[in-house]
Amino acid sequence: MTKFIKGLVLAAVSAATLAAAVPAYAQTEITVQRFFGTCDADFGTNTDVSKSAGECGIITSQINKFNADNPDIKVTVNSVEWPGYDQLTAQMASGEPPDLVTMHESVISDYQSKGQLEPIDDVLKAAGIDPAAFTAAGRDGVTKDGKIYALPIDSHAILWHINLNLFKQADLINADGTPKLPTSVDELIAEAKQFKEKTGKPFLVQATANEKAMFTRAMYIYLNQQKSDYFADPTKINLTTPEAKKVVQMMKDIYDQDLTTKDQDYPAMVAGFANGDGGVEVNGTWVIGDLDTLSKQEGNPLSGGYTVYPLPQLFGGEPSYYSDGHSWAMPKKDRSPEQLAAIGKFLKFMADDDYDWSRTGHIPGIQAVLDSAEFKALPHRDTILSIASIAKALPSAVQRQFAIQDILGEEVASAVTGQKDIDAALADAQSRINDLLANL
Amino acid sequence: MAETRVQNIVGRTNSDRIILALTILAALVLLIPIMWVVGLSFKLNNDLKIDPNSVFRLPYTLKNYIDVISSSSVFRWLLNSLIVSIGSTICILILSSLAGYGFARLNFPYKNIIFIIVLFGLAVPEQAVIVARHQIFSFLKLHNSYPGLILPGLSASFGVFLMTQYFKAIPKEIDEAAMLDNASRFRIFWKVLLPLTIPAQATLGIFTFLGAFNDYWWPLISATKKEMYTITTGIASMQMNFAQTEGLGFLMAQAVFAGLPTLLVYLFFQKYIVTAVSGSAVR
Repeated sequence: MTKFIKGLVLAAVSAATLAAAVPAYAQTEITVQRFFGTCDADFGTNTDVSKSAGECGIITSQINKFNADNPDIKVTVNSVEWPGYDQLTAQMASGEPPDLVTMHESVISDYQSKGQLEPIDDVLKAAGIDPAAFTAAGRDGVTKDGKIYALPIDSHAILWHINLNLFKQADLINADGTPKLPTSVDELIAEAKQFKEKTGKPFLVQATANEKAMFTRAMYIYLNQQKSDYFADPTKINLTTPEAKKVVQMMKDIYDQDLTTKDQDYPAMVAGFANGDGGVEVNGTWVIGDLDTLSKQEGNPLSGGYTVYPLPQLFGGEPSYYSDGHSWAMPKKDRSPEQLAAIGKFLKFMADDDYDWSRTGHIPGIQAVLDSAEFKALPHRDTILSIASIAKALPSAVQRQFAIQDILGEEVASAVTGQKDIDAALADAQSRINDLLANL
Repeated sequence: MAETRVQNIVGRTNSDRIILALTILAALVLLIPIMWVVGLSFKLNNDLKIDPNSVFRLPYTLKNYIDVISSSSVFRWLLNSLIVSIGSTICILILSSLAGYGFARLNFPYKNIIFIIVLFGLAVPEQAVIVARHQIFSFLKLHNSYPGLILPGLSASFGVFLMTQYFKAIPKEIDEAAMLDNASRFRIFWKVLLPLTIPAQATLGIFTFLGAFNDYWWPLISATKKEMYTITTGIASMQMNFAQTEGLGFLMAQAVFAGLPTLLVYLFFQKYIVTAVSGSAVR
């Protein structure tokens, strides 16, 4: 009996030792930080990406799917208030940055120049992602000093979202049903006046209050159209030029002649356009999906009458445009080989699923998706596809592009709304921006 | 009763009536945004996307509140905010009372100089020390922790100043009477003087609670992990790019939830808030 008990104890100890020796099933954990808001009520548990919509819905579902498909990896999501760079900077200062972070390509230089981002060439290579697969705009946006610093997932730009129902009422429709788009500033003013005369509404629906990015991005587009090399030296902007004055003068003329909505902020602009307050909403690629959905519903001002085009070529010359892009960047920190492999796997998943991301309305960051019939079949992509080949970002060596955007937007808005003389506003913008760049 | 009310109105002077009318107007101005938020929270997101003015029309829905309860992190963030706010309030009341008593009643070397140094804290804005503070907390590995959120608020010059002034206003004869009864210093502080400072404690407590509950900047850069967000940074993180255009009803339902503790504090302690605002807490 004693022998039996001894044997039993020995067996139990052996079993316990063996159990302890077998490694527990370990998950590799990585933290990804992103903006785009949260939408847990609608997509918190959704893993079918095809059923998601909107930036938040799609990215939430993508990460859910990645987690479901990769039980050996746990992706923890940290959602931050847009754009989240104050928080990221604080995290970097405290040595606790996330493993991956959503980053505008225009911001990469700020962090890369301080050595706060890791080049990801090796991670991409190990994961089987060839940077040659990126679009030219995407590759330019994430390449600094010959190295890749992020995975580009899109290019985005501002566009003219058009209410075709009101355009019809204003006799601004071509025989083929497309909207008549101006080809010069004079044509634009004439069309806008005709629109107002026939519909009683302003031509443009714009955010002129508490909104800086739209004016700046439009400014870049129209300066590019005039081949104005406003950042010939990436450490200095040149805005005291006839080209810049022409653009602001045009914006001011539209404002002074009541051809645009006034005193509206961004949400008011979005709601106003959906309500039929005007003919053209100046807004980004990211609202295409929402507006298209609205136009397919009955009983609203956009029903059966929505289309979207790039901002028209008003200043002659060759077509030119401005775009920025979203990307996944990898902050500098110590990581295990398993974590690096998990990051590579995550990036590969995002690159492979770039089509789903492009359903947001953005132009894909992966060339194969851009070329695919699937992408081209998405609503309205045919009219905006030209952006992919002509759009340029600011030179990658230009730092503090978000801050520059704010300064320029403020000064242009003050000129357009008559608070400042145009020359003074442009001179002030130039001096403030150059002061900023001189004191990095 | 009704007669008295009529008499009250009839008996007022014109200037009283103007003040009353302006007060009602001011109350309406303050109430309208709150009513707007509550109204939006009962509307479907899609309806608001098309027309925010649909808040004035049927149908209304409880969906946003159901979504908040079933799927949102707002309760976690609310809990974090309450822990930080209540923790800060308790600690500041203890520290300020002790310091206030010390400065008002005790004599020790360099007392006046130390008091002036404390008062300098009132003149130094948070922005001036934020980088150094962030570095210190990084070194101490205190970011993303409750102490990391509570400790910075404890250097409360205002609290020390308020309590010092309040203790100074209490007649010293009370202490002397207690001393004659052989009460120790701490016993005098704890049993005799502290109960007399309750109005000031309430004032300081309310201001501290509301300040900590509504704080945004420090939690934004210290609590960078989602599970450690406070209600202010958490709700901000839920907004899309170019905020407020999607999920507006849901966002407002969360804002209503987030505002409830503050509302309750106001409801239960309004007497002390009025005292505090009118300045009569400092005798």
